[in-house]
Amino acid sequence: MSDLDRQIEQLKRCEPLRESEVKALCLKAMEILVEESNVQRVDAPVTICGDIHGQFYDMKELFKVGGDCPKTNYLFLGDFVDRGFYSVETFLLLLALKVRYPDRITLIRGNHESRQITQVYGFYDECLRKYGSVNVWRYCTDIFDYLSLSALIENKIFSVHGGLSPAISTLDQIRTIDRKQEVPHDGAMCDLLWSDPEDIVDGWGLSPRGAGYLFGGTVVSSFNHTNNIGYICRAHQLVMEGYKWMFNNQIVTVWSAPNYCYRCGNVAAILQLDENLNKQFQVFEAAPQESRGAPAKKPAPDYFL
Amino acid sequence: MEVEVDENELKNFGAELLTDGRFGLRIRGWEIEAVKQSILKSLDLHQWEEKLQTSHLPEMIFGNSCLSLKHVASGTKIHFNAFDALKGWKLEALPPVEVPAAAKWKSRSKPFQQVILDYDYTFTTPYSGSEIVETEKARENISDVRCSLNWEDCKEKIDMVALSEKEPILYYNEVVLYEDELADNGISLLTVKVRVMPSGWFLLLRFWLRVDGVLMRLRDTRIHCIFADCSFPIILREICWREATFNSLAAKGYPMDAAAYIDPGTISQRLPTIMHETQKLIFKGNLITICCFTG
Repeated sequence: MSDLDRQIEQLKRCEPLRESEVKALCLKAMEILVEESNVQRVDAPVTICGDIHGQFYDMKELFKVGGDCPKTNYLFLGDFVDRGFYSVETFLLLLALKVRYPDRITLIRGNHESRQITQVYGFYDECLRKYGSVNVWRYCTDIFDYLSLSALIENKIFSVHGGLSPAISTLDQIRTIDRKQEVPHDGAMCDLLWSDPEDIVDGWGLSPRGAGYLFGGTVVSSFNHTNNIGYICRAHQLVMEGYKWMFNNQIVTVWSAPNYCYRCGNVAAILQLDENLNKQFQVFEAAPQESRGAPAKKPAPDYFL
Repeated sequence: MEVEVDENELKNFGAELLTDGRFGLRIRGWEIEAVKQSILKSLDLHQWEEKLQTSHLPEMIFGNSCLSLKHVASGTKIHFNAFDALKGWKLEALPPVEVPAAAKWKSRSKPFQQVILDYDYTFTTPYSGSEIVETEKARENISDVRCSLNWEDCKEKIDMVALSEKEPILYYNEVVLYEDELADNGISLLTVKVRVMPSGWFLLLRFWLRVDGVLMRLRDTRIHCIFADCSFPIILREICWREATFNSLAAKGYPMDAAAYIDPGTISQRLPTIMHETQKLIFKGNLITICCFTG
């Protein structure tokens, strides 16, 4: 058994790698990812997965439902880390699979694959807690910069973490972005990772936060028409039912973190596409409480004032 | 002293747990119950949007969860739920808070026909609980004009010293009512937690908002009830609103990064108070005789 296979087995048991192993794994991953396009081509059949957010044991449920990699081809739409308890093990397992089976699994970048966001929402603290230093966080966030920004399945299905950008009307415009950087606060790259579809606007909307685009049905039809694609598949937003179509089936949100934050009670979904791009959503629930080492449901009494 | 007592020991304090899968406690004429459910499904969410006349709601609404405390003899029920809290949000309708990146966005080239949304995405609410009198008549849909509840301003204060004593906690629970991640720009969270001791119950309803790099807002409602067997109990409520911008905290030498303020507990005392009031719950009506004349 090779070192890599052994590491994959270890990670599947939710045991993190040593710091030196993480460093070596990230170096290998970098060589592979640097060759990928901003619009990475993906062949069918493939199974598309949305946000995971460090919910390692729920990702194991995902693989139970969807089949193991490399038997099943996977496309993960980002947000591997933050919020859940096992961002380290979750991301490293996906990265190890990427290095072992580069043509069988595609990882694209979510807005949480960023230095700034991970310092607030958990991944940074988790690395510090599990390794006693921030080196592993550095190796991982350096790799984040190399992750592709989107994927194109059989030239027909465009996949991205967040959504569209007013600065982008063609896929070629995405191809020209220099992605090897921290996610910027504005511009096309930022929009692809952050924006959301919105029912109440038809064209473009600006979030009340003063930053962040919302896009309506006309924007999606026009993008799909221009680029000759059937529909857009994205993640980024929690959907209680696991997936949600909008704008006459021109865009679908896929969410793959069941019982999000260990308390929402939502189901999750993955989208399976066969070789003819026939769709099948698989809905699944969170791993049983006892199997995932999560804290007990009952809150500990506290003398709050 | 023990933090939580054994189920068998509850009897010694005149308390018993609710049965039939309910999470709560009966004690000294009160029925205290927490219901915790999943977030609303898309269909329910849509109905809430219609009822509240809005197209935007927090992404996690625990709409079927609630905490209720019912004084059986008077029919007084104090309860906490997401719907009433969101009615308060809709009514207050604060103007939106811009995130730090907004400054940069102003100089971005604008797309053709851009709509700027302007609802209060922080879901800030003045909500400090709901209360009704549930009498037999009310249950039969006859309005009972003789009964009413009113919060009146008062001079008394909640006895924090007494509450700091480590009396055994007979029952404890925390219920999240709604939560929103502000699209990864911070947190908006409304929760209520309760602890029941042999002498009375105490609860904290907390609205916690952190818009990263911009502002923190804490709206606390504390309610304390001291058990009384043959009269309407003394129920005091303190409402305290605190708020500060990151800039004003930085000026005082506190950290500027959001990571320092994950838990509101660490910052609450440093946020300046902008509103504080104490009230007493006044009950007008009759207590059911089982209580009054058996003592």
